[in-house]
Amino acid sequence: MSNELKQFNRRTLLAGAAVGAGALALRPSAAFAVGQTVTLADIGVGDPNGDWSGYEKATGNKVNLVSIGNGPSAVLNQLIAGGGRQTYDIINIVGGMQKPLVENKLILPLDTSRLKNWQNNEYIASYFKPGSKGFDFIGYDGKVYGVPTILQGDSFAYLPEKTGGELNSYGALFDPKFRGYVALEDNYTTAGQKTALYLKAAGLVDIKDPSNMTKEEIKKVVDFLIQKKKEGQFRVVWSSFEQAVNLLVNQEVYVMDCWEPMVFAAKAKGVNAVYASPKEGFLLWAMAAYLVAGNRSPEKLEASYQLLDFMLSPEYGAVITNLRGYMTNPAAPEFASKSGKFDPVTAKKIADIDAGVKTKFQSGGTWQARWPSNIEAYEEEWQRFKAA
Amino acid sequence: MSAAVKRRDLGAAVLLGVPVLLCALAIVVPLVLTLIISFWERQMIGMRPGFSLASYALFFDGARFSVLQRSFWVATSSTLLMLASAYLVAYLITFKLPPSRTRIFLFLLSVPFLVNYVIRTFSWAYLLGRTGPLNQFLQWAGLTSHPIDWLLFSDFAVYLGLVAAYMPFMVYPIWLSLSAIDRRLIEASWMLGEPPLGTFLKVVLPLSLPGVFAAAIFGFVGAFGEVAVSQILGGVGYQLMGNAITSSLDVLNYPMAAAMSTVVVGCMLLLLLLWLRFFDLRLFLGKMLGR
Repeated sequence: MSNELKQFNRRTLLAGAAVGAGALALRPSAAFAVGQTVTLADIGVGDPNGDWSGYEKATGNKVNLVSIGNGPSAVLNQLIAGGGRQTYDIINIVGGMQKPLVENKLILPLDTSRLKNWQNNEYIASYFKPGSKGFDFIGYDGKVYGVPTILQGDSFAYLPEKTGGELNSYGALFDPKFRGYVALEDNYTTAGQKTALYLKAAGLVDIKDPSNMTKEEIKKVVDFLIQKKKEGQFRVVWSSFEQAVNLLVNQEVYVMDCWEPMVFAAKAKGVNAVYASPKEGFLLWAMAAYLVAGNRSPEKLEASYQLLDFMLSPEYGAVITNLRGYMTNPAAPEFASKSGKFDPVTAKKIADIDAGVKTKFQSGGTWQARWPSNIEAYEEEWQRFKAA
Repeated sequence: MSAAVKRRDLGAAVLLGVPVLLCALAIVVPLVLTLIISFWERQMIGMRPGFSLASYALFFDGARFSVLQRSFWVATSSTLLMLASAYLVAYLITFKLPPSRTRIFLFLLSVPFLVNYVIRTFSWAYLLGRTGPLNQFLQWAGLTSHPIDWLLFSDFAVYLGLVAAYMPFMVYPIWLSLSAIDRRLIEASWMLGEPPLGTFLKVVLPLSLPGVFAAAIFGFVGAFGEVAVSQILGGVGYQLMGNAITSSLDVLNYPMAAAMSTVVVGCMLLLLLLWLRFFDLRLFLGKMLGR
């Protein structure tokens, strides 16, 4: 190699490096992120069965998925005491946890301009508008902290052959006709709130906001539940997915406060279970992916933003809708039918799920309060109900 | 004292000291921390160091105290039940089974533990349910015309779950105690004219009490802090202390969870102190130590 060529190469190299460094310095948010591994802590719902190829091919980064519990304490304990801030880059959990997460400096506000899939997402525009109840699932104090990865509306399930027809009110959970054949979820923010929805709609208790009750209001709700418990209305208070599915499959109960995927699971086992459309409305909720606060290089931060953006993509949405039965992305049904990644039957299933959940959101209801203002009173009262 | 003896003593001290220190770190430190935190003040999400009896006051004043009472009753009564059945099994293994089969039988007792504990508990829920095999059998046999509700999600189911979970653990210390009894004492009792029941009550039972008490502690501790059995088989919010502590942790009420844990640990320590006060540990450990 001649000296001239050496000098040329050196000059070129130095010039290139200078340009690159200058570019990075000018726009650190667009740090060149390749070869990064983003650790995503997930409660199990956001796992596309390990297939992150869409993200990995597009970015050159990898995903390290780890499991995390969904209970508020499980999440906070992992982040505060369990070294989660150092280990996790993103946590994907049921939203509405911003207050404890932000006040403990565990998550970062999002710069949504770095998420191209955030723009033109009609679900975000419709359901998570700042100032709305839906915004409380992803935002706090006017700032956005979470990327909504799935959306759903909850009600209750029933076995029509056993109940003798359609049920369309949460009142079925408390109907003496089904005494001893009703199950509730062991969760004050779901079972408690559904009961409040019923009591308010039936005019039995004066409740201003079922999603965020005062101490007196939650006490009245629990008084009602205790009365029903003593009358023998409830067979069991369930606490896990498998337990709830088995209750339906074994026909241990006929009416059950639960999540819709449990109905899918029961149907898959040959049981004719129906997920009700109550006149009082659905309990709406969403999962949110948060950026964990921690020492992170610009490259890792960029790779994390890229993953958040991928989780907002129609491709990821279609996969998750198909696997988990939740609504995800407005463009997921179209992607499923046109991309060639799904067979027509699966594409139709994705479109049906999307349409079904959309109907729930259109028919209304209240957003679940994951961290209500009086959460201590909720927990105390729920203890009273269980101990009664 | 020679240098060799000094070196040997130092070696022994290090050899014993390290595990003792590790045990202290792993057991004593968390317990002390739990005790300290139980007096701290709860803030909205975290807690603040201090000295407050608020958590204890709330515990003894609220619904959780009834959970403590129920836990105590369930743990005590189920322990008595388990002791009766474990003693019978241990007695049969020790005195009625040929020595060549003892190991096989003891091994069989440990087989259930090869299956995950929660899965075993879920299996009970399936077996005892309204449409489960037991109810189907009872109806098929004409013993009942409709499913029996109280088989599942009831006190009966919880007791059954506890017995299945902890009774096998209790067989081992009782068997250990029984097999350590010098057979010549039993023979002497017979030769002196004591009938079998008298020999059992005056010789075998008193000598096996250290094992019985050890077994009682195993059973009581397990039942007192149980979470899964009460949750899966108990029905509408059947709560034991383990469930109540978990519930407090769910809303990050660490001082309350610590206060409840302290009360539970206090009860356990009291039991252990009673055991140490009334029984010579060497009687129980003698068999294991080959003495």
